[in-house]
Amino acid sequence: MGAGMLDEMRVEPPGDAPRPMPSDDAHLADHLQAALNGVPAAIFTFDQSLNLIFANDRVTTLLGAAPEQLAECSTVFDLLAACKGLDYVTAQRVGGAVLAATASNEPRHPPIALSPGDAKTAFNLQISKSGSDHWMVLFEDVTARRAAESEAIPQTLRDPLTGLPNRKHLNDRIADVVATVIGRTQVWMILVDLDRFKTVNDTLGHPIGDAVLKIVGRRLTSAMRDSDEVARLGGDEFALLIRGRPEPEAVATVARRLIDVLGRPYLIEGHLIHIGASLGIASSQDISEHDHLFKNADLALYAAKKAGRNTFSFFDPAMEARAHKRRAMEIDLRKAIALRQFELHYQPQIDLDLNTITGFEALVRWRHPEHGLVPPNDFIPLAEEIGLIVAIGEWVLREACRDAVHWPESISVAVNVSPCQFENAAALVTSIEKALKASGLPGNRLEVEITESVLLRKESAVLSALHAMRALGVRIAMDDFGTGYSSLSQLSSFPFDKIKIDRSFVTSKGDCKDQNAIVRAITALGISLGMATIAEGVETSEELARIRANGCTSVQGYHFSRPLPIEQVDGLIAGFAARHPIATPQAA
Amino acid sequence: MTLYRILYCSRSELADSPAAGAEEIRQILAKSRANNARDDITGGLFFSNQCFAQVLEGPAEKVEETFERIQCDMRHRDVTVLEAGPIATRDFPAWSMAFTGSTDASAFGQAVLSAAFSGQTQAGDKLLDILRSVVVREDEWLANEAA
Ligand SMILES: Cc1cc2nc3c(=O)[nH]c(=O)nc-3n(C[C@H](O)[C@H](O)[C@H](O)COP(=O)(O)O)c2cc1C
Repeated sequence: MGAGMLDEMRVEPPGDAPRPMPSDDAHLADHLQAALNGVPAAIFTFDQSLNLIFANDRVTTLLGAAPEQLAECSTVFDLLAACKGLDYVTAQRVGGAVLAATASNEPRHPPIALSPGDAKTAFNLQISKSGSDHWMVLFEDVTARRAAESEAIPQTLRDPLTGLPNRKHLNDRIADVVATVIGRTQVWMILVDLDRFKTVNDTLGHPIGDAVLKIVGRRLTSAMRDSDEVARLGGDEFALLIRGRPEPEAVATVARRLIDVLGRPYLIEGHLIHIGASLGIASSQDISEHDHLFKNADLALYAAKKAGRNTFSFFDPAMEARAHKRRAMEIDLRKAIALRQFELHYQPQIDLDLNTITGFEALVRWRHPEHGLVPPNDFIPLAEEIGLIVAIGEWVLREACRDAVHWPESISVAVNVSPCQFENAAALVTSIEKALKASGLPGNRLEVEITESVLLRKESAVLSALHAMRALGVRIAMDDFGTGYSSLSQLSSFPFDKIKIDRSFVTSKGDCKDQNAIVRAITALGISLGMATIAEGVETSEELARIRANGCTSVQGYHFSRPLPIEQVDGLIAGFAARHPIATPQAA
Repeated sequence: MTLYRILYCSRSELADSPAAGAEEIRQILAKSRANNARDDITGGLFFSNQCFAQVLEGPAEKVEETFERIQCDMRHRDVTVLEAGPIATRDFPAWSMAFTGSTDASAFGQAVLSAAFSGQTQAGDKLLDILRSVVVREDEWLANEAA
């Protein structure tokens, strides 16, 4: 391919006009060819039947078509196949766009995906008419321009740690984009929040944490196309803006890729670090004002975290309603503390051998002025999330101790303590101490129930708090045993007084073979570790018989009594022996 | 200067067609060897049943840099580190990146890789053994795949 092709591009002047001198003609052709080769874009032209007319030198240098191969090409498709710089999928898409343009007789600017092996090159593609039945394809290499554009972002709009654009810059960009595209095209925002990043900072220190954030920035940038924006919003939050109008499925694919890439191990100064990422995704189609894009993505992110992290969610209008409900509940919950709308209900714990009540578990209820009695599962998670659990927990401790001091001395009270209360473990110990002192209840009549997640953090502050409680005489019980994932190792990290066998092993299901085996094993474990065991959630006499047959002699559940308001507790204690005659002793 | 070694396995995202896959591996190896020679890194790469296992050894800082570049590579996924830590001597002093591949579905390699992904502790040692015993059949393997 050479001057010959260009010959065909000469426009024949009308017959009666004076012909230009042939030498001028040849000169013009050379000149045009040189000019086209100088354009920083790969250009080729073709006719309505897709026969190739001309291709400039950049088709070789930019798209990787060898000159000798190019000379053999007779159609657009031959040429695309010869372009080694385009991967197969991209070449197919360009071919498809060319066909669509010529068929509809309309120019196109299709967004083209970049070859996956070479995400560093960005192209702009234009298919336009050049004359009545000639077409031109122009591939503009915009890599340098994109780089310059991103270079051009001033220091004040950058995050100093990662060098990425900051929240302010992203806001400006979204405002620009949304102002011009609403209703016509789409941008997607992906909010990225790192999971377990705080632990990295806490355990390995801020310099390592910062190094992780820098790498996260680089991984995000390398996983996205150059036309996408990557920004750091602060802390461990990043945001991505995807332009063009990818289908949700394509955005989901990007999200999965990001979760994969960010979840890969980080090797930093000899430390192998594992973190994860949760993603919230929102589209400009759902919004009318630009800051709603952030808000929607944030709601979606919240849902992704709720769904168990390391996952992504798309925004859905129902999330707004839920968030609204949550905010209303939050306001009510804050009021509830001030207005003392909480009350404690008590469920007895029974020793089967002695046939006596040995204690009560205190369970908090919220008497909502409009919704009535709200069960703990409906408000404790929210209270934990917004930090109110500390105030609620302190009240529970004080109230439970004050109630229990009036019971017979052989009866103790068990109080649930949330993992969040251990965040300030020293303050928790202080509030236990105060509750005991204020009520006059001896420490050995108070039992604190914790779940194993308290111990998962392996913090020395947690262990020393547990030992400090022990020193006050308080007993420590492991709640929900068997439902977590590393129970056995947790049992050895602290000498618990009691193990509470989770109700899921108690509630009868099918032939119960596995459940029985587990109850038997936990009971045996308790005996050999010197820890008492108690089964929770015993609701029927059949379940009671099963639990007993498997060696467990301490139970709690509806079979004996539901949790009762304090007014009914004394009556229960008094009437218990009468209602439950001494059971026949088990054969030894 | 501390010598450092990391051993990981991952799942390939290379083209399914053996010929195209072999071509991509050829590219990875060419790039790896050039970079690794520059960075004083040695090691071995094992490919079987659409899984990779790789050992990288060299100056700690360079190993970290290289490993991070590999982490960003979308030609594989599910990277699982089996071992990482300082070493006294190199296992692959002569190889900027030794390679062995296997397509035999029942191959020993498959058993090792599946053990590695399921987190069995000896998998790392076994993989290292395989990688150490690499008699480089690379040309042979690539030629077979391409055929
Ligand atoms: C399984 C696998 C193993 C790789 N091994 C190496 C390696 O040992 N050294 C290396 O430099 N790149 C390796 N790469 C390639 C890197 O991911 C990356 O593409 C390359 O280092 C980029 O080099 P460049 O920045 O010089 O272009 C490997 C990629 C894959 C998928």
